[in-house]
Amino acid sequence: MNDQQWNTLVAAVRGETLRPLPTAFIIDSPWLPNWAGHTILDYFTDDRVFLEDNLRAIRTFPETIFLPGFWSEYGMCTEPSAFGSVSMWGEDEFPFAKKVLHSPSEVERLEKPDPRKNGLLPFVIKRLQHLQPQIEAAGHKIRFAVARGPLNIASFLMGTPEFLEATRTDPELMNRLLDIITDFLVEWVAYQREVFPSIDGIMLLDDIVGFISRRDFEAFGLPYLRRVYSADVAVKFFHNDAPCKASAPLLESAGINLLNFGVQHTLADMKTWTSNRIALVGNVPPRDVLAEGTAEDVKQSVGEILSPIEDRTRLIVSCGGGMPPHAPTENIRALISAVEELTR
Amino acid sequence: MHDLSSLRKAVIEGEVSASTAAARLALENGVQPLDLMSQGIVPAMAEVGKLFEEGEYFVPELLMSARATKEIFQILRPLLAQTGAQPTAHVVLGTVRGDLHDIGKNLVAAMLEGGGFEVTDLGVDVPPEAFVAAVKKNPVEIVGLSALLTTTMPAMKATIEAFRAAGLRDQVKIMVGGAPITQKYADSIGADGYSESAAATVELARRLTGTCHGVSP
Repeated sequence: MNDQQWNTLVAAVRGETLRPLPTAFIIDSPWLPNWAGHTILDYFTDDRVFLEDNLRAIRTFPETIFLPGFWSEYGMCTEPSAFGSVSMWGEDEFPFAKKVLHSPSEVERLEKPDPRKNGLLPFVIKRLQHLQPQIEAAGHKIRFAVARGPLNIASFLMGTPEFLEATRTDPELMNRLLDIITDFLVEWVAYQREVFPSIDGIMLLDDIVGFISRRDFEAFGLPYLRRVYSADVAVKFFHNDAPCKASAPLLESAGINLLNFGVQHTLADMKTWTSNRIALVGNVPPRDVLAEGTAEDVKQSVGEILSPIEDRTRLIVSCGGGMPPHAPTENIRALISAVEELTR
Repeated sequence: MHDLSSLRKAVIEGEVSASTAAARLALENGVQPLDLMSQGIVPAMAEVGKLFEEGEYFVPELLMSARATKEIFQILRPLLAQTGAQPTAHVVLGTVRGDLHDIGKNLVAAMLEGGGFEVTDLGVDVPPEAFVAAVKKNPVEIVGLSALLTTTMPAMKATIEAFRAAGLRDQVKIMVGGAPITQKYADSIGADGYSESAAATVELARRLTGTCHGVSP
């Protein structure tokens, strides 16, 4: 992300009036390598492919912001690998992290990983260090420390149904698990900030928040998110594209000031539930419209999501979730130009 | 007849030990296993599904009610076998080849069992030939295919084609579901049914089999 884009992002978070409205997209392995003509595994394993694909995206769409920008990741395996989870790879498939905890009681033997030494985390850092000169030569900087959220990591370590059931049957052990994960996440974020001083944002992704009630979010989500987001950075970005009616009113108290959400709710409802105190990133339907619709469908969808919104502060137009697989260039261009046209 | 409201309440609230205790008490008081299912479990799980659809219940609540139901079935299964009662229909479920996600499939399995269906869960990353083999081994009325990833959706079509190639397509109804699946996609691959949520799958399965009750005597 270049300086101008970062300043736009911060201005949106602060609630400044922006015309036209900014656009932004979370881009990562589900979309970027295939869009650029590479396999997912090549994208993960070849730093040149990673750099080339990211540079191609920012040069193809210079008007938009990519979040987090040059995201060094290994899909869902990144953080679970540090806990000893086996990573499963396919040539052009999303990697999968196998669970490491087979009963709630196994939490007792779980150790907090060292983000400097364990799993794929040193690879995440080294990739960005190796490419930092080229990224900066392109006018961009590494702005975000990124991680999967605590509930998301817990669900990979245990299995999602098993973890969610255990919040009922073994709540103390699940709080213990989330404590260990959060201690690790705080260190992981701090380490990324230490290595890249240009970082002034935290991005966490946690769809499991969307599966639980407000009461459970207060018990198993909020305290942990609050700890990770307590770091002193300008942008505290959260992604949950599962339902978020139950959690939305509480996200600000976790410190979150930027939110990418799904298509289950309207922008208007989200503005109400967050009291317009969190900048929203959304929410053109990613699969049905951005990936599978026509450019005209995209334009119409942008109009539909924006027309009911009178107060357009704290608003960044995007899709409801990350950039979906196979979203074509013309549809992304259509979204960007529709926003420029409609919000000039 | 013995009042089944405490059993229904325990299932709805996901109280596993209270559910099994209520089931045992009902059986001791002469409630027939079939009545316990049709008047206890099935309406309770229907209520759980309704609460989930209305946003009152979330995934953990659904999972705990499903677990309570499963435990009651452990008690009922041998008793039902003695009476000769048959489940509404038999469903084979699995997450398709290349896809390792199980939460949607597990929820569907739980809701179907709660609705009186017998479920064989083939697990995750199930190749087309394994679905076909399961149906050959034990004929079923419905095959349920789950996928979470857009990259694994094509395996649904491959599975349907495998049933066609094996000459079994007309013998089973195939329903599909999962986050990236739509009715349009289901129609395009020749599936017989699509359900947007785990709770709605029970109704879909009943429509596909032309049944409306939990268990057939």
